[in-house]
Amino acid sequence: MTEKRTNQSIAFDKEKNFVSAVIYVYNDEERIGEFLQKINTVLRTNFENYQIICVNDASEDNSLAVIREIGKTITGTVINVVNMSFYQGVELSMNAGIDLSIGDFVFEFDNLVMDYGADLMMEVYNRCLSGFDIVNAAPKKCGHKSSRLFYRVFNRYSHNPHPLRTENFRILSRRAINRVHSVSRTIPYRKAVYANCGLKIATIVYNNDLSCLKAYGKETRYQRKEMAADSLILFTNVAYKMTILAAVFMMIATFGIGIYTLFSYVFEDVVSGYTSMMLVIVFGFFGVFVILAVIIKYLSMLMELVFSKQKYTIESVETLSE
Amino acid sequence: MIWDKIIIGAGLYGLYAAKTCGDRGERVLVLEWEESPFQRATYINQARVHMGYHYPRSYATAIKSAHYFNRFVKDYDFCIHQEFDQIYATSDSFSWTNREQFTKFCKAADIPCEELVPEKYFNKGLCDGAYRTREYTYDAGILGHYFVDELKRKINVEMKYGVRIQAIEKQGKHFAVILENGETFETGFLLNATYGSTNQILDLAGIEPFKIKYELCEIILCKPQQQLLDVGITVMDGPFFSVMPFGKTGYHSLTAVAFTPHMSSFDSLPQFKCQEKSEGYCSPRQLGNCNDCQVRPQSAWPYMSTMAEKYLKADYSFSYAGSLFSMKPILKASEVDDSRPTVVRKASENPTFVSVLSGKINTVYDLDEVLKND
Ligand SMILES: Cc1cc2nc3c(=O)[nH]c(=O)nc-3n(C[C@H](O)[C@H](O)[C@H](O)COP(=O)(O)OP(=O)(O)OC[C@H]3O[C@@H](n4cnc5c(N)ncnc54)[C@H](O)[C@@H]3O)c2cc1C
Repeated sequence: MTEKRTNQSIAFDKEKNFVSAVIYVYNDEERIGEFLQKINTVLRTNFENYQIICVNDASEDNSLAVIREIGKTITGTVINVVNMSFYQGVELSMNAGIDLSIGDFVFEFDNLVMDYGADLMMEVYNRCLSGFDIVNAAPKKCGHKSSRLFYRVFNRYSHNPHPLRTENFRILSRRAINRVHSVSRTIPYRKAVYANCGLKIATIVYNNDLSCLKAYGKETRYQRKEMAADSLILFTNVAYKMTILAAVFMMIATFGIGIYTLFSYVFEDVVSGYTSMMLVIVFGFFGVFVILAVIIKYLSMLMELVFSKQKYTIESVETLSE
Repeated sequence: MIWDKIIIGAGLYGLYAAKTCGDRGERVLVLEWEESPFQRATYINQARVHMGYHYPRSYATAIKSAHYFNRFVKDYDFCIHQEFDQIYATSDSFSWTNREQFTKFCKAADIPCEELVPEKYFNKGLCDGAYRTREYTYDAGILGHYFVDELKRKINVEMKYGVRIQAIEKQGKHFAVILENGETFETGFLLNATYGSTNQILDLAGIEPFKIKYELCEIILCKPQQQLLDVGITVMDGPFFSVMPFGKTGYHSLTAVAFTPHMSSFDSLPQFKCQEKSEGYCSPRQLGNCNDCQVRPQSAWPYMSTMAEKYLKADYSFSYAGSLFSMKPILKASEVDDSRPTVVRKASENPTFVSVLSGKINTVYDLDEVLKND
């Protein structure tokens, strides 16, 4: 639509598309500096216009100060910082960053582990141009056992056309972002929504170096577990299957016990014992509790989806430039 | 000869004061740095005649704006552009206000707003509320000519352009304004109406400065395409943008909260890195005109236009025509509510020294009180 023209000299070999890079930052003072420099170099050499958005998830260390420092040294570009009001985890924070981004294409960096060569960014971008609205960069080897298990369960029980796996970063077209937002208002787990959005998706698998894997802090581990549970419930039928299974199993058991009781009453003439009675009760309650747990989880999620108007809570947005 | 009033700065505030006092027959001298009036903020801004919509976080500013709106539009109707739809919208994310709050606010401030369907102007999912409001823009060029003509007819008012003030001294019951070329002018009433340079003038006079921060701002001029021609659009209240008629020039101004300010200075006297490269044209002691400066920043057009594109439906398009730069002093006290009060401060009496730090064009009437001669 709007004609792209600037009063600066235009380098004709650079890409004309405006790209945004959204980076999740949480207590990353050691990595963020180098990371910013690296991706800025890639973006500067390849794109005429770009922006970098750092989403600072209420870091307690010097991450923000480091970003501000770098902001002073990187000329000609605009670094934005979204400061989250309090720790909200990678999902909500990234949503905030993506909502702020203005690019025609948006890079998502969930973490600052750069176990790939910087040129992979352009490979992903070019694949995107070739007709994929979402392109993922996925490491060949994944270190975390828990996440491997999670994906196995997830993929088994969800009807996603695209199985999920550990990914390091991805690029989205503006069209994909619009689509995702029109599909669902709250996006509790981006990857699952992306995989379901119905647009073309590609994944580039790269050979990675396991040594730079990041250990998660306590809060992050908790957040990840919560998110795993939430998304298993929201995007898969694991819970539903479990509940049905439990219900059916208990039905059969109860039925069996009923027949047995009837049988012994008619033919054996024995008073039922204390132990077996207790067994039945305990077993029955156990089943009820399992079902209750699942229902409660459902309800709490519905509550959250229905009542919280704000998708996330931000404290401020700043623009850094030289 | 001793002047009844000396006014430093020929922006709207300076010339309004000159006209008001000149009408009363006072002998008035206007000292202006540039070669003609209205070269800075009065010309280089969004040209909104505010009705209050812009301040959903500051009822006081909003109510005052609405009050002044009618008076300004009546007094200066010849320069007012009102033949367009001014659309205000609240963004779905990142806004400090939302649909319900904005509706409530308009009601409380008693300003008209008609709710529209956001999808008429905006891409789906980006704005939760859109309103047709009553807001106009003014044409600084036309307004400037009016004042120049009016003042030319008064023999008791003198304008001096290209002035370089070296010192301001208090001498008994008078202030002496001493120029670099040795000329000296005396008055019992000095009005400092230099906006971005206000602390620099205060510094010359040895008076306590305002607590302000400075922002070097870019206003982009663009050519609206057919659909946008008679529409002005403002998405508030947060890191958003505005594209709206620039007076009667036929251009639209384009600004974006995150990209319009290019640099800031938190120093009492404005200090910017670019000043070193300006070869004396601009310094913490005297601001040059960024618009004419050799080392003015590169345009943020790619950022502002991309942001607007993200929000606006493709029909409402526009193309780049040029950039204007100016300095904006912001009261540090306004950070939270984003209010824009006009501060009129009397530093001394007999001789009188008054500084005005204007918030908006149509609050110029705030000067009336202090210009009175009791
Ligand atoms: C980016 C931006 C957007 C804005 N948008 C709006 C808007 O939409 N609506 C609105 O109502 N208001 C807006 N404002 C505010 C409005 O522009 C100002 O409040 C108003 O123009 C100030 O008028 P003034 O006469 O005080 O200042 P100016 O017009 O700046 O006049 C000051 C004069 O002092 C002169 N001067 C400076 N130093 C010296 C010196 N040493 N000696 C002699 N002369 C000197 C300057 O050359 C200049 O002519 C905006 C401001 C900015 C910066």
